[in-house]
Amino acid sequence: MNSRTAFLSAIPFTLCASASAQSTPFQTPGMPAQTYGAQASGQTDMSQANRFSSVFNPAFSFVGDFVADYRSGGGEPAGWDMKLRSLEVMAQAWVDPTAWAYFVANSDGEALNVEEGAVHYTGLGGHNTIRAGKFFIDFGKQMQTHVHELRTVERPLALRALLGEEIKGNGLEWDDWGAAGDSTAVRWSVGVFDNLLPETPADFDPTLTASPSILERKSAGDLNFTARLTGFTDVGENGTLQAGASARVIPSYQADYSPSGDQAADLRNTVVGADITYGWKSDTGVNAFTLGGEYLISSGDTGFSVTNPGGAGTIAVDQSTLHGWFAFADYALDQNNSFGLQYSATELPDGSASNATEADVYFTHSFSEFQRIRLDLTSYDQDGSDPSFRAAIQYSFIVGAHGHGVNW
Amino acid sequence: MHINLNSTATTMNTILRRLFLVFALLVSSATSYAGDKLKVVATIPDLADIVREIGGDRVEVSTICKGLENAHLVTPKPSHLVAMSRADMLVQIGLSLETAFVPGLLEGAQNERIQPGKPGFVNTSEGWEPLDVPKILDRKFGDVHPQGNPHMNVSPKGGRQMAARVLAGLIANDPGSKAAYEARFAEYSKKLDEAEKRWAEMEKAWAGRKVIVYHKEYDYLIEACGLKLVGSIEPKPGSAPTASSLAELIDSVKREKDVTIFTAPWSNNQAVARIVEETGAKSVELPNMCAGIPGTETWIGMMDLVHQRLSQAFGSGPSR
Repeated sequence: MNSRTAFLSAIPFTLCASASAQSTPFQTPGMPAQTYGAQASGQTDMSQANRFSSVFNPAFSFVGDFVADYRSGGGEPAGWDMKLRSLEVMAQAWVDPTAWAYFVANSDGEALNVEEGAVHYTGLGGHNTIRAGKFFIDFGKQMQTHVHELRTVERPLALRALLGEEIKGNGLEWDDWGAAGDSTAVRWSVGVFDNLLPETPADFDPTLTASPSILERKSAGDLNFTARLTGFTDVGENGTLQAGASARVIPSYQADYSPSGDQAADLRNTVVGADITYGWKSDTGVNAFTLGGEYLISSGDTGFSVTNPGGAGTIAVDQSTLHGWFAFADYALDQNNSFGLQYSATELPDGSASNATEADVYFTHSFSEFQRIRLDLTSYDQDGSDPSFRAAIQYSFIVGAHGHGVNW
Repeated sequence: MHINLNSTATTMNTILRRLFLVFALLVSSATSYAGDKLKVVATIPDLADIVREIGGDRVEVSTICKGLENAHLVTPKPSHLVAMSRADMLVQIGLSLETAFVPGLLEGAQNERIQPGKPGFVNTSEGWEPLDVPKILDRKFGDVHPQGNPHMNVSPKGGRQMAARVLAGLIANDPGSKAAYEARFAEYSKKLDEAEKRWAEMEKAWAGRKVIVYHKEYDYLIEACGLKLVGSIEPKPGSAPTASSLAELIDSVKREKDVTIFTAPWSNNQAVARIVEETGAKSVELPNMCAGIPGTETWIGMMDLVHQRLSQAFGSGPSR
């Protein structure tokens, strides 16, 4: 093959690659396409977008969430603590006209963890969206939300106890909505994930309790599932009402107690929830109140405890159905100040379904859209323990264009 | 523990099938809604009025903002999402006025007809020469609007600008009715001519009067009337006044003397009352959008009321 023939034979490959990814002429067949994007005339010295172009960079944002608190009771030493609870870094951008992607990494000042990294594909038409990657599950109104954006300093007790502090998984979610009449929208989603067990809490002690886990490789029926159905409607000129039902299904998991090597296998757990939220705004939009709540039922193998902790410890699985709920009322005094009350009661997945309650009173002052301070007083009571009290001051700020893939 | 996977899968299938059926029914009932009229969503009542003026009975208009609200802080409702999903045309002011709800609704509604770049997306600030275009984009300067001050709907010249863009949008989306739209536009232009003459006559007497505003939403009005803006109750756009910023402003108002405070219905609050009490300045509540205050059902009616209230505040003209 002479050099001319070789050149001509390379043209189809070069054209294909260029059409799909605007790659360089030196991209050889079989190598990954280099995605420079469309030409950005005048943006570089060669008047072509290249690997050094910054014009198609994603939007970045940073969030800081700082909590100072005083705790007393609960059998723990009383006192103050202050910590940078989270420093979040986010990037998001359109991938192409049919999909946008976002990435969220979070650090508590030490380790940096990827919280979410997902793409929203909207090219199916209609109101369909496919989300793929790692992301917070669509359960109720608050589980999608990162903790720094909640109405309270912590997630409501019933959610923490029955679902976990945060539930994120690697998976796929199909989301769709439709109108029912002129003033009602109904949305539904179904998701399939690798693992929706809550993350191991920071104070986990492997000598006292067993550790739950899910096999890495599993049958399709053992994948974890979520589903949500929610209706959202106008109520008069100034109000809205939203009601929803959600489910998280973990068809198979196991618990291991390392000191004795005991294992409980073939465990399963399903949590279902029903939520309702009413929102009202004054004619000027300055004053507003929100009433809401959620009721949760956890069934199957809901908790476990270790009998005779130590080398001879055995896992006792609790199959009680656990119930929990929370309700809140928030009132916006004006655009910058609001206060609220929240109460939550639940049975705990501690192997004996002990009862716990938590009451919060909180006041939030927003300096602007991007900076907020909150005072939150919390009383916590649990069967068999001393009541505890917490006074927390939370300060949060946002720099840049921020917004998670939270759906309504 | 033994789990019957077949049974679980069958139950899940049944549930999903039933869910699908329910939604298919809901969606089909929703999509069966039809009409020959052009379905238009206007972000603010001012635009809705102008679309009705030019579109007549060829359009069916719904509005997102209510007349008393702060357009920067509107929370959309389900009816807005539904309307956006069915709309043939979205009419907005732009200049980041509706940044609180337009991007989210466009994303949620997933209606290709009204996405930016399509004929159904009508940006009425296109071609407008905005005031207050920031030289530096930094949140140090508050809730800045990168493209400039977006409150052109409270400019006496705003009606003509909005009407021209609405006309172009209606023709682009319904070219078959071009002649009808142009005829109605001509009629509306006559009304604007008369109104603008009326307002210009009143404005002559106010040149040089000193005003402060709560939020910088009357800048175009101030410029058109030849007024002198000497301060703002929000220390930076979008930032609530602090004790020190308010004290400083009160000192400034006392020094300046004979200052009138412009406030919108949403911002007529304790800060305004305190300045009035401590300085003796007059305050005047002006509509910032149509349809919030009686008599402002139309854009021309709103601007008439603005001028009447200013006449009253500046000591000339009838009270209303």
